[in-house]
Amino acid sequence: MNRPLIAFAFVAPALVFLAATLAWPLVSAFLLSLQNVRSVGTTGTWVGLENYQYILANAAFWRSTGLSFGWVIANAALQTLLALLAALILHQKFPGVRVARTWIILTWIVPTVVVVMIWRWLFSTSGGMINPILLQLGIIDRPVGFFATPESAFATLVFINSWRWFPFIALMMLAGMSRIPSDLYEAARIDGAGAFKRFTRITWPLLAPTLTVLLIVGTLLSFNVFDVIWLMTQGGPAGGTRTLPVLIYETAFRSYRMSEAATIAVLATALLMSFAVLATRYLARSGDER
Amino acid sequence: MRRPLRWSIALAAGLLVLAALIGLPFWWVVSGAFKAPQEIIARVPTFFPQSFTLEHFEKLLSASDYLTYLVNSVFVSVLSALVTLVLAIPASYAFFRLTFRGRETLYRIILLAYAFPSIVVLIPLFATFARLGLVDTRLALVLVNVAFALPFAIWMLRSFFASIPREIEEAARLDGGAPLTVLLRIMIPLTAPGIAAVAIFAFVTSWTEYVFASVMILSDAKRTIPVGFSGIIGQYQVDWGLLLAGASLAILPVVLLFALIGRWFVTGLTEGAVK
Amino acid sequence: MKKQLTLLLAGGMLAAPATAIADPVEITVWHMEQPPHRVERIQSLIDEFNAANPDIMVSQEPQNWGEIYAKAPAAVAAGTGPDMLFAIPDFAPILKDIGALESVADFVEELDGAHDFVDSTVEAYSYDGGVWAVPLYNMTLNLWYRESVLEEAGIAVPTSWDEWRAAAEALTTDDQFGMGLPANRQLYTDQTVYSVMVNGGASEIYNEDGTLRFDNPQTVAAYEFYNSMMEFSPPDAPSWTWGEAEACFASRSCAMVMQFTVISTYENQAEGDASDLGVAAIPTSDGSGDNATIAYANAVMLLSDEEARREASKEFIRFLLQPENYGRFLNMEPGLFMPVTADGATAESFWSDPMVQEYRDQIETVIANGQNGRLFGFTSGRVYPAIAAISAQNVLAETLQSVVVTGAEPADAVAAGQDRMADLSR
Repeated sequence: MNRPLIAFAFVAPALVFLAATLAWPLVSAFLLSLQNVRSVGTTGTWVGLENYQYILANAAFWRSTGLSFGWVIANAALQTLLALLAALILHQKFPGVRVARTWIILTWIVPTVVVVMIWRWLFSTSGGMINPILLQLGIIDRPVGFFATPESAFATLVFINSWRWFPFIALMMLAGMSRIPSDLYEAARIDGAGAFKRFTRITWPLLAPTLTVLLIVGTLLSFNVFDVIWLMTQGGPAGGTRTLPVLIYETAFRSYRMSEAATIAVLATALLMSFAVLATRYLARSGDER
Repeated sequence: MRRPLRWSIALAAGLLVLAALIGLPFWWVVSGAFKAPQEIIARVPTFFPQSFTLEHFEKLLSASDYLTYLVNSVFVSVLSALVTLVLAIPASYAFFRLTFRGRETLYRIILLAYAFPSIVVLIPLFATFARLGLVDTRLALVLVNVAFALPFAIWMLRSFFASIPREIEEAARLDGGAPLTVLLRIMIPLTAPGIAAVAIFAFVTSWTEYVFASVMILSDAKRTIPVGFSGIIGQYQVDWGLLLAGASLAILPVVLLFALIGRWFVTGLTEGAVK
Repeated sequence: MKKQLTLLLAGGMLAAPATAIADPVEITVWHMEQPPHRVERIQSLIDEFNAANPDIMVSQEPQNWGEIYAKAPAAVAAGTGPDMLFAIPDFAPILKDIGALESVADFVEELDGAHDFVDSTVEAYSYDGGVWAVPLYNMTLNLWYRESVLEEAGIAVPTSWDEWRAAAEALTTDDQFGMGLPANRQLYTDQTVYSVMVNGGASEIYNEDGTLRFDNPQTVAAYEFYNSMMEFSPPDAPSWTWGEAEACFASRSCAMVMQFTVISTYENQAEGDASDLGVAAIPTSDGSGDNATIAYANAVMLLSDEEARREASKEFIRFLLQPENYGRFLNMEPGLFMPVTADGATAESFWSDPMVQEYRDQIETVIANGQNGRLFGFTSGRVYPAIAAISAQNVLAETLQSVVVTGAEPADAVAAGQDRMADLSR
């Protein structure tokens, strides 16, 4: 069925919209990176690749890049694990499963400010719930400052962000699982396959395409998480959670170096784009077009 | 389909952990919103409230514009969801049912929309909106929200369209239907649950958006809930009771929404298309 | 670009028909006092002013400190900024940099003649041959404690760093922390660190010629001392802002805290026993009586470059500083905002507030302590624009974190801090 004009008309509005709201500002940011603009609203002169030289030689930039990598991987690992377990549970039939499936998403529909405030309160040493519980259970013997060291702050943030996102991922996985025909499972059961074998032979392979796309999009979204980190630790303590988005924001609005911030953003974009391009190429090859 | 006992126990245990992980924090917040101030900051927190007061909610509603923020959030989110659908549905249909040159490449590019830090878009977009007189308007927020929800929405819709048997579509076309008619009369009704799911996705992403809303909106009357909420967090002191009440109210509307149409989100995802 | 926009605006307004004389001049004020009760108090003052001045209409837009550093310059550049914007000293240079400010030296002189400003509050905004904002209210850091708690432990109010350390140690028990100090990379920690520095002879971070002198023995000693005090703070101190410190004090988990005021939370969330609440000046390193503290002279900047709107804004400011109104303005948060004028300090409207009356002793002490207030980067009568970035990036707090959290040697951390400041000053 070949009606290119109609097809084009269908696609054009969305594409034009995205071009205007995303593509154009990106170009604009790239141009900004070639100047030396400081505060927002001031103008600068063209300085070519000077900013790039400065940033690429800057230790803070590389530290943030490393933190971003770690952030993405840690989130992917924790979220995939939690989501998979949750999806498997919700895939079963038991009384109240409908309710469970509907309400598991609770953590995702709440504004991030609220999520941050909730956990800041829960983790605090005066009035928070987590420390007393851990003390009661004997897991710790002194109250812990969850945001006291760079490492623990990082881990705690990964937990909070995963807590927020894993139900959504779980539902996406559930959607994928529900498209697996149940006769496959029946046949396998008749053949005597146990639960574990059913998982590894049927669920996992058939879920793989969905999982792959989720991983790719999830990585991109994870990388971009800004408000949770900023609102909670502002990139601290001692820069331990200063991922690239945080660094960009700080450079633009706290150090008042718009052009430098744009430079970091362009570099980060290059990184993400290469990842996305490679990943989608892999997707195409493994036949995602179902 | 009987299940061996140990699996039942494992399932129950898993469910319990899940319920605790998700439910407990919210329980503490909502129950805390009704506690007296002294009990909230007590060194040893209480699981079941020992006191009961409505003072935090009273203070919140009388002294701040929380209801205005609520209305703004609803307005922006509903509009964002609608616009996202209007743009995403035809685009998705075109990508996955119609053939045209460059289809593959364009589809790949769509997902690339997430491949950059959204912060970087903030300032150029602000400058553009300023020139267009869109700063401090809710429309500006809608535009931003749609931009961020659209790519994923297109991708989500794809699988729903893909699961409709070709025969139905062929039949409609053979009957002489133009693609637009086929889309409106046949495809949309068949994928209604899936569309509802995408609408809810767009609604929620708009509802929770904070960064752009905080910079684009200058006046109190146009604020959305996330920004309004961060505002009542006192600058030099923290009124935990007020915050917990605010958090409870920020959660309430989406919870109500989900109570009403939440199951469509799930069935939309899991069933996608009416068979 | 911005100049063109505003010129256009100005031209447009001047070209408006003569009937415009009947329409009130509409001006907006942005401030960062968002808590609902403060907004309410400001609104009632605005309503009073609007009623008494039918040719002017003022409206307020409360903003958030976390957002305003990004938002205000952007809004001004886009021509959508306010007519009046509240500020703290390190915020003004940013707006001056983008050309949004005109000197208000004459206006300040007029007000000084009428009400007698506390000199340090005007100094914080006087540099580069002009005065860039009008002082409006003052905030100073003090040491807060409970008399009964100190008595029980048998210690006197500390006046030197040695006494301070000994007191904190004696007050730290199983369920009480002796001295709650923050170690967050945030404004509150900047403030507490500087308060210690200023009492240890390290109040200047710039030399007369504009070079940095942050890295000096007194600064290192101050950081050493602060670090040694951290063991008496709760473990989550590295994520503290003002709220956590106050909550700690209110719940009796902390025996002492450094804070602008704890009166409100003490009254509303703790036991509210005015006779037990003690406040003292921050101890000096050697116990000599010359205590100083960090002083935040909050002010208001006039951003509009249209005559009519500037005049209207000035009218409103004159109204606020009138002794009969000023007290009510300050008491939007009793105990937090202190008068910047001499007649404000004796105003009936200030002292007649019930909470102020109840805590009269404490507030008098706070006002007295504030006479000797300073602010880093604004001490030598000259201000270097980089101070904005240095404050916004919380370099003082950042340096503390590398000592407390990362375990660096104070001398190294301070040297690195100076490098950071130099980098931000490029």
